[in-house]
Amino acid sequence: MKGKWRFRWMNRRLLFLLPGFAGVMVFYLLPFLEVVRRSFLRSGNRAFVGMDNYNAVFHNAAFVLAVRNTAVYMAVGVPLLMVISLLLAMLLRNLTTKRKFVSAMLLPMAVPAAVMVLVLRILIDRQGAVNGMLAGITEHFASLPVFEGIDYLNSGWAIVIVLCSFLWKNTGYMVILWLAGLSALPKEVEEAARVDGANKWQNWHYIIRPGLSGTTFTIGMLSVLQIFKSYREVWMVAGSYPQENIYFLQHLLQNWYLKLEFDRMAALTVLLSLVLLVVCLCLQKRLEQNGG
Amino acid sequence: MDVAQIISVKIKKKKKKNSWLATGICFLMAFIICLPLLMIPGGAFMDPAEIRQMLSPVLGAGNGYAIWHFIPIYPTIEHFYRLLIGSPAFYKLFWNTVGMTGAILAGQLIVGLPSAWAFAAFKFRGRDFLFGLYVVLMLLPFQVMLLPQYIVLQKLDLYSNPAAVILPAVFSTFPVFIMYRGFTQIDLEVLEAARLDGAGELQIFLYVGLPLGQMGTRAAMVLSFLEYWNLVEQPMAFLEEQKDWPLSLYLPQLDISQAGFAFAVSVVVLIPALFVFALGQDALEEGITYIGTKK
Repeated sequence: MKGKWRFRWMNRRLLFLLPGFAGVMVFYLLPFLEVVRRSFLRSGNRAFVGMDNYNAVFHNAAFVLAVRNTAVYMAVGVPLLMVISLLLAMLLRNLTTKRKFVSAMLLPMAVPAAVMVLVLRILIDRQGAVNGMLAGITEHFASLPVFEGIDYLNSGWAIVIVLCSFLWKNTGYMVILWLAGLSALPKEVEEAARVDGANKWQNWHYIIRPGLSGTTFTIGMLSVLQIFKSYREVWMVAGSYPQENIYFLQHLLQNWYLKLEFDRMAALTVLLSLVLLVVCLCLQKRLEQNGG
Repeated sequence: MDVAQIISVKIKKKKKKNSWLATGICFLMAFIICLPLLMIPGGAFMDPAEIRQMLSPVLGAGNGYAIWHFIPIYPTIEHFYRLLIGSPAFYKLFWNTVGMTGAILAGQLIVGLPSAWAFAAFKFRGRDFLFGLYVVLMLLPFQVMLLPQYIVLQKLDLYSNPAAVILPAVFSTFPVFIMYRGFTQIDLEVLEAARLDGAGELQIFLYVGLPLGQMGTRAAMVLSFLEYWNLVEQPMAFLEEQKDWPLSLYLPQLDISQAGFAFAVSVVVLIPALFVFALGQDALEEGITYIGTKK
């Protein structure tokens, strides 16, 4: 009798989760499983082809390029964003004018991608305003060579532009997160340490850094989320076939989608999800070990 | 003077000494971040001839480099006139965006809030696994979900229907994550007390959970608004007919030769976003705080 009652009680509680979970099943999990199935089939006659689709992905030159670029972009972009925003948060946290600065830095979040792209094109065109400024500077110093103008989007600079726009858009977001983590640290410990003569470096290394480990994990995760989202701007400013340094996995997926190459796309979808899953699990495990 | 006072005086002195350099650096960063945005209002009120003259190098019609006047020399409201009076299509797209964003936010509230509450308030078997799954789903970029969603939308016969953009967004797991973090700020003891007093689970959710966790909810809504107000990839992939498109797909079609007009559209797109941003900034900052701090 008691068991039955508890069972019904549990059920009522799970009713909260059910509508959302049903939707997640229908729009995310089940179609994903279908894609896993299709990644082993040929789309025309639905014949089983084993790992053929995966092999086709691995031997695709564009895939190799996109993996390399995406890895470089993420390996540089995520740590850079986290470090810059942490430094700013450390500077900001004792200022009384903190809020005003934070508001100003958050502003790019509200700016539609298309607006940003318009501004970007005026600034970084080969004959754009940034080159104009650089040319102006070189003219002032006669010893410098004549400035030719850099075609940012069609040269190795493209990745730098992409990184800058990613940092521009997300620094404020991450600064807030760091400030939150910092404000959660007990102030008394730091004050006590300062009275005992701890210098800034010791304060950072022994008190602040260990206290931020949980925050670091969350911010890292959200940085990854934001770096994936930055594809939108990249695509809008440089199109489906950009300079080869900024050809990312998302370009590849989108282009295969437009060309209806669903076989390879299914395999790539599965591969990428697996990579993300493994990364998530590893990070979580490490976090648990650190006791964060 | 007791010890505490001495310490606090010491600390205050230290703060004052540091703040000039820190303020300077922060001001510089904030200024650099805001500078490109200052180009927008100027451009929206600028005479087309002035824009053409400034941007002619970028337009491929001249040597030298583009320049930009932050304050127009020949201000005009021509672009707004053309946009608000002369282009009926604009209104269609504008209301498409409003409808889409509104439907998505409403759906996320209805579906996401109870889900987040279930994760925050109840312990059930498989909870951690399921929540981990939600987090992974939240991190998947749209392009990875492109094929799965295309398949399901085809099956449900929703392709090229506005619901093709709305429904997957409604069940997005990101707002659930943020709302969850807001709810975890509530002491579980409060819930226990309410249960002991005989409140039903629904009552606890409505009268205890929602008010106490509202900052997380509001933060989720602001983030969602900013995200879906500027939706690009989803409508591009799933909406074939231009009449269903949101405003965010109209803007990229404008060539740089129409920069003034594009800036005017930008201002109109930007105003609701800034409005929501200003209204929800407290919630956003506090809500993001919950994400950042683990409890």
